[in-house]
Amino acid sequence: MLTDLRVSFFLASRGILRGSRGSLYLTVLIIAMVFTNMIFMPSIILGFIKVAEDQIITYQTGNIIISPHGDERFIEDVSSLLEKVNRIPGVLRASAHYGTGVTLRYKGNSIGSTVVAINPDDERLVTDVYQKMSDGDYLADGENDEIIIGIHTSGHKDPSLDMGVTLGYVKAGDEVIVEYTNGVSKAYHVKGIIETGSFYADQGAYITWDELESVFDRKVDYATELIIKTHPGTYEPEVKTMLYRFGIREKVQTWQDILEEAMGRAVQNFSMLNSITVVVSLIIAIVVLFIVIMIKTLNSRRQIGVLKAIGVDKNIIIHNYVFQVLILTTLGVIVGTALVESMVAILTVYPFQFPDGEVTPVVATSDLVNNTIMLYVASFVAGYIPAWQVANEDILTAMRS
Amino acid sequence: MITAENLSRVYEMGKVTVHALRGVSLTIQKGEFVGIMGASGSGKSTLLHLLGLLDKPTEGRIILGGIDVKDLTDRQRTRFRLKRLGYVFQDYALVPELTVEENVFLTSMVRGTPKEEYLVQSHQILDRIGLSDRLSHKHNELSGGQQQRVAIARAMVNKPEILFADEPCANLDSESSRNVLDLFKQINQEMAQTIVMVSHEDWHKRYFNRIITLRDGEIISDGPPS
Repeated sequence: MLTDLRVSFFLASRGILRGSRGSLYLTVLIIAMVFTNMIFMPSIILGFIKVAEDQIITYQTGNIIISPHGDERFIEDVSSLLEKVNRIPGVLRASAHYGTGVTLRYKGNSIGSTVVAINPDDERLVTDVYQKMSDGDYLADGENDEIIIGIHTSGHKDPSLDMGVTLGYVKAGDEVIVEYTNGVSKAYHVKGIIETGSFYADQGAYITWDELESVFDRKVDYATELIIKTHPGTYEPEVKTMLYRFGIREKVQTWQDILEEAMGRAVQNFSMLNSITVVVSLIIAIVVLFIVIMIKTLNSRRQIGVLKAIGVDKNIIIHNYVFQVLILTTLGVIVGTALVESMVAILTVYPFQFPDGEVTPVVATSDLVNNTIMLYVASFVAGYIPAWQVANEDILTAMRS
Repeated sequence: MITAENLSRVYEMGKVTVHALRGVSLTIQKGEFVGIMGASGSGKSTLLHLLGLLDKPTEGRIILGGIDVKDLTDRQRTRFRLKRLGYVFQDYALVPELTVEENVFLTSMVRGTPKEEYLVQSHQILDRIGLSDRLSHKHNELSGGQQQRVAIARAMVNKPEILFADEPCANLDSESSRNVLDLFKQINQEMAQTIVMVSHEDWHKRYFNRIITLRDGEIISDGPPS
């Protein structure tokens, strides 16, 4: 058996090395393109999901978000809750948010928006919004009459970059009017403009907790949400379990839960698209390899007949062609991997621009391995069938062809 | 060495039935150089194919080296051809992707002969037929005569019990044909190699020590050349 396989490989390697160079290059290129197609689409989808994950964690919810339970509007006794949460193992810091609907006015423009009250010192430890000020500065604890506004609300200098209604290019240092639902209307000094790339963060406006209390003219010890940053490497579902174990009654969600809620359907659709792409690619690979081997075997019918006549077992002949296909597939996968890696490198430098940020392809090792295995199986089938058909032909019929 | 009894071969070609061989019986002894001759369509190639286990008779039986080959499976027939028979075809039939040396040692490789051994064997046989300076050449770098000599080397490298040759000179000029036939004669005489060769050229007769002549699928004469 081993001898037979050695002979098959010997014939296959000579067939590849000394056969038609043009056919070799073309076949390898087609397999490489098929492989690239199988890998590239999922890598973009993964990249898209990665951006969504990063933005949710970095600018929106942290690793875990606590929101009011059931029909309740607020999380009560938020100072005690913060203390409790900050003591839980795995929690780096928690930050309370109080979001309220407002109307923002600037130079005759007005839009409805949400102003979120935060404790800037806590917030700096939980989100990275403070690092993404395109103009001016971030808030500081205890500041009054200051507001920071997201770029999708403030507006760009070039209005064509705006993604909806804006205030018409508000800059740091400008003054905006904020009208609260309790009837308070107040002028704010714009301390900075936020531009994170996250649509959620870039459409909001933020004030300090002290400012909120001055607007409401009372102590505010309740929040609309609590966002939590965990220590690096912490498994969020474990912290979630821990939070419940520590007696938290509010709704606790990890970023994975949020992503599933927000993008679960999209991810399913992407997966379906991806499966269709893989199946189509595999069919193309099978058809191409089948044709290549069919042509090779048909052109070699006489030679196959002669080999059988001089005592070469038909299985050696079949395995010869299967080895040829596997060698072609190996070369195709190598070239395809190089192509994918080159495209990833280029797209890392020049990423796709999406409303929610820059998307670069993410190649999952599992995708590489699975698609390579599928391609090898497809190749095996595509090589075996035509080789088997011709190798089973009667010796004299084959020799007379 | 070879015993054929009442061999018949019938082909169905659409609605036409062709009797290629009709009850042929013969015996070939070790060391004979037998020429199978006859006009085109007389059944000489059919007889060679049956004796060389490339085809199966419709009726009759063949005993090669004491074995009734009728009972062999396809796989066993393949092994039998590999281990005990050698073939030389009209159009050389070398594997185009292999060099001269590789073409010659291919069957040794299939037999599982150790590499060192089959390299020595193939070099020896190529040296003997005067092509030791063409080891790494491919078939298209050789003349027709040289290719046929490589094919003979391939057939001889494993020292077969019987060497079958199907019109080996049909594609060669007369000088190359003479060289090939001289080589066959030399192999037959020096190595007592049994050779069964199909030919339709009258001048080849002087190389054979026995001639079987066929007509319409039947033996019409069998004996030494006149």
